[in-house]
Amino acid sequence: MKKLISVLLALAITINLVAQTNKFTISGYVKDAKTGEELIGATVIIKEIPATGINTNAYGYYSITIPEGTYTVVAQYIGYELKTDTIVLKQNVKRDFVLSEKVNQLNEIVVTDEKKDENITNTQMGVQKLDVQQIKAIPVFMGEQDILKTLQLLPGVKSVGDGSSGIYVRGGTASQNLVLLDEATVYNASHLLGFFSVFNSDAIKDVTLYKGTQPAEFGGRLTSVLDIKMRDGNDQKYSVSGGIGLIASRLNFEGPIKKGKGSFLVSARRTYADFLLKTFDKTFKGSSLYFYDLNLKANYKLNDKNRIYVSGYFGKDVLGFGGFGLNYGNATGTVRLNHLFTEKLFSNTSLIFTNYDYKVTTSFGANNLDIVSRIQDYAFKEDFQYFLNSKNKIKFGLNSTFHRIIPGVITSSTNSPISKQHLNNKYALENALYVSHEVKPTTKFSFEYGLRLTSFSLFGPGTFYTYDANDNITDSANYSKSQIVKTYINLQPRAAANYVLNSKSSFKANYSRNVQYLHLLSNSTSGNPTDLWVPSSNNIKPEIADEFSLGYFRNFLNNMLETSVEAYYSNFQNQIDYINGAQLNLNANVESQLLYGRGRAYGLEFFLKKKYGRFNGWIGYTLARSERLINGINSNNWYPATQDITHDISVVGIFEISKKWTASAAFVYYTGNAVTFPSGKYQVNGQVVFYYTERNGYRMPPYNRLDIGFTYQAKKTAKFESSWNFSCYNAYGHENPYSITFQQDPNNPEQTQAVMTYLFRWVPSITYNFKF
Amino acid sequence: MKNIIRFAFTLSILTVGFTSCTKVINLDLNSANPNIVVDAEVTDQPGPYTVNLTKTVNFSDNNVFPPIYGASVIISDNVGNSETLVETSAGFYTTSHLQGVVGRTYNISITNEGKNYTAISTMPAGVSIDSVIADTSANQGGGFGGGGRSGPPSVSIKAIFTDPSGIANYYRLIEYTNRVPNYKNISVISDNLQDGSVITANVTRRDTTIHHGDSVTVILESIDANVYEYFRTLRQITRPQTGFQASVPGNPTTNLSNNALGFFSAQAVRQKTIVVP
Repeated sequence: MKKLISVLLALAITINLVAQTNKFTISGYVKDAKTGEELIGATVIIKEIPATGINTNAYGYYSITIPEGTYTVVAQYIGYELKTDTIVLKQNVKRDFVLSEKVNQLNEIVVTDEKKDENITNTQMGVQKLDVQQIKAIPVFMGEQDILKTLQLLPGVKSVGDGSSGIYVRGGTASQNLVLLDEATVYNASHLLGFFSVFNSDAIKDVTLYKGTQPAEFGGRLTSVLDIKMRDGNDQKYSVSGGIGLIASRLNFEGPIKKGKGSFLVSARRTYADFLLKTFDKTFKGSSLYFYDLNLKANYKLNDKNRIYVSGYFGKDVLGFGGFGLNYGNATGTVRLNHLFTEKLFSNTSLIFTNYDYKVTTSFGANNLDIVSRIQDYAFKEDFQYFLNSKNKIKFGLNSTFHRIIPGVITSSTNSPISKQHLNNKYALENALYVSHEVKPTTKFSFEYGLRLTSFSLFGPGTFYTYDANDNITDSANYSKSQIVKTYINLQPRAAANYVLNSKSSFKANYSRNVQYLHLLSNSTSGNPTDLWVPSSNNIKPEIADEFSLGYFRNFLNNMLETSVEAYYSNFQNQIDYINGAQLNLNANVESQLLYGRGRAYGLEFFLKKKYGRFNGWIGYTLARSERLINGINSNNWYPATQDITHDISVVGIFEISKKWTASAAFVYYTGNAVTFPSGKYQVNGQVVFYYTERNGYRMPPYNRLDIGFTYQAKKTAKFESSWNFSCYNAYGHENPYSITFQQDPNNPEQTQAVMTYLFRWVPSITYNFKF
Repeated sequence: MKNIIRFAFTLSILTVGFTSCTKVINLDLNSANPNIVVDAEVTDQPGPYTVNLTKTVNFSDNNVFPPIYGASVIISDNVGNSETLVETSAGFYTTSHLQGVVGRTYNISITNEGKNYTAISTMPAGVSIDSVIADTSANQGGGFGGGGRSGPPSVSIKAIFTDPSGIANYYRLIEYTNRVPNYKNISVISDNLQDGSVITANVTRRDTTIHHGDSVTVILESIDANVYEYFRTLRQITRPQTGFQASVPGNPTTNLSNNALGFFSAQAVRQKTIVVP
């Protein structure tokens, strides 16, 4: 590692020497004036030198190296007043910018600063940043703001089902998304079997979805990275905020550890529908059903060069009724140290732990049966950012993750006839080394390229089987503890280029290769908490995706209107599907239930966004296809994947009626998922059975829905703020099918019928939010 | 496991405050080319054994399944016995002298409209039922999918038998009420998690109604692994599914070749009858 750093530094110094003039560095942090929180992705520009704009990194840090001189430095961030400073640059300068939130958005006239065209000048495409403030204005489901549901309103992102917080990105499956909370992988991002996400928006600072090319520091999933960062907490004063909704309440407490030096945050959420149910319906006595989330974070600035962060998340779903119970949840923990080697070299060291588990309990009579399954990661990450000069930025680093998977342990009470069983634990080590270089040779052209080298090793102990095409065991081998069963090594290049045609438009092209070593086995239509993660092995090869994308970006009306068209094509290798009637849980030979093949996904995404003004919002439209070719399904022909959505339209509008009232609406329409329906029927052993001729040969009916919401700002003073949110999900009550099943007609034994199940029509909600 | 997920799903929907609604819809489903359906068993009991051959129909058609006439059906075993079955009524083909023996492997060969379909099955040793119990205290309502509401009280039938240890055993149980078989309840058991133990199998479902004085017979079939797999996957696709936990549907995994539907089983059969007190 040390060698790598020195090589890179030497390289950087050489590049530096080529530039002859005296250069100095302006560096520092951009922060929120009220809370002291660092702002991620704020822009810092030098007015005198066009195209020197730089974004603050994930910790709010920026660094610009330019020749000696006098400069006007501007720092800005969406929703904040910009700040200008004049700097006489004769030596390295440290300058923090403290920005204030815009007080009155209503009377705001279009701001005429020239640097709101980031979408034009940035090399990245397929990136969606969610403004947590903006999420608050969008109509909510059951009174709970949900970042994942807001993401579903963007082009290229689709919900896995009505009311679900799961997402499909650009034709990938739900498990091909990497979900990170303060760098820790969240293996199951949903509560209540999918209806809510685990992210309590009170505790969230920044949400970025990379749906195309992922920066080189990320890896491990094929189609997207959802990078979520928790808030650090107010380092200026103690503050309490919260909300009371129909099914859940939230409370958030934060404040300085030492003013301006460090802060903490505690944020909690719990549902209480079970209390209500028990009160109204006696049959629920003795049952339990709730979930909770707890977010904790603290940070402290040790000195100018070092800052430490500790963050944790704990969430659990508890469902129990009669003799049955299902508990599941995530726990993550991250300890990070930011260190500034020099003004130009920023580093972050992270130690990460994550755990996802579920436990199923069954009791019949005096006997108990428990099934436990678990996945755990222990990770180390080291990231460097080298701000070489105004034209070059280099990122490099490494990470190493130890995965421990416990597929299933069955325990039972002593007198139970069911014997104890412990499926072999799986141990694996995943390593990555990466480097990327962002360069702006001219004001018109910018380029970013990177390389990620990854390795994945599966370890013993245990017996590992090899299967033939008919799923019979052909060979078995015993491995001792720490003995390597199989190692995979992959080189993952990526590149992004941007050509600015003029100040209003640009053209971008991206390519990347991603590799996924962990696979989620789920043969249900929409995912269960009991779905199983399995590592790549002697039978399961790593999934590989190559994605190409092109984009045209154009802004109108002084950057008030942003438009873009993006086209993508992805080629997937080693995709996994299942044999008919696959037995995935508690099966020691689960790998015999799998089928392998290829996939391809392509599409066009159109996006129009009005960013500012009393009325703002966006329209997104996606035309796409996602197909699979699996050995053993549909006579080895291409067929539509479940997540193949041809048309997907979303329209979001937010209107400030007055200073007190804001109205919002969201409309969604998309083509139904590809599904398997029977084409015929037959009788065997006295029973009518449906006859299936083709996997995914049919479509669900199209989905559509309109949500409306109103927010009333009841009080807003420096000391106390409160607001009411009124929302109605599916306001025109469209019957969106959740599932379609087939059965005997109860009124006519000679006939069979199709039955549609639908869940949510006219779901109203009311939430009271406060802050002091 | 599936049941637990379904129950959790129901609870979640209730938490969210809304029970799901259902409605019968019209779907325009494709027509399927008729395919052969085989229902064939050989047992260790005296014959004759009957093979039933029918065809599939379209989903929208009535539940009338055309018999297959004039097919050639041959059953043979691994010690050289072979018999060509005779079509005794429309679609039914019957043996006259073949006798099933435990431990032998049976082969069926069916030729119809120029296509040949085969399957093999090995007959496991029979396992006797120790006792059959009618549990009148059980309330089988409530629970899954029913939204937690109680159903009408009913009698639940349990069969108790002892699994031979040291070998893999697979069982299928069929319950007859007053000589009428209840095929809807597909009950198959593997001794995978309970080798050598005394197994209590519940052979009735929530919607089975059994009354005092009824004569109840439980048949315990010892089947081979492939036939077990057939009934396990058949159960998976035929039981009522709520949308959430529905697995991707498909045809059950059969031991028949050439994409034929149905199964061929060589099985040892034991039974016990009680009168519900």
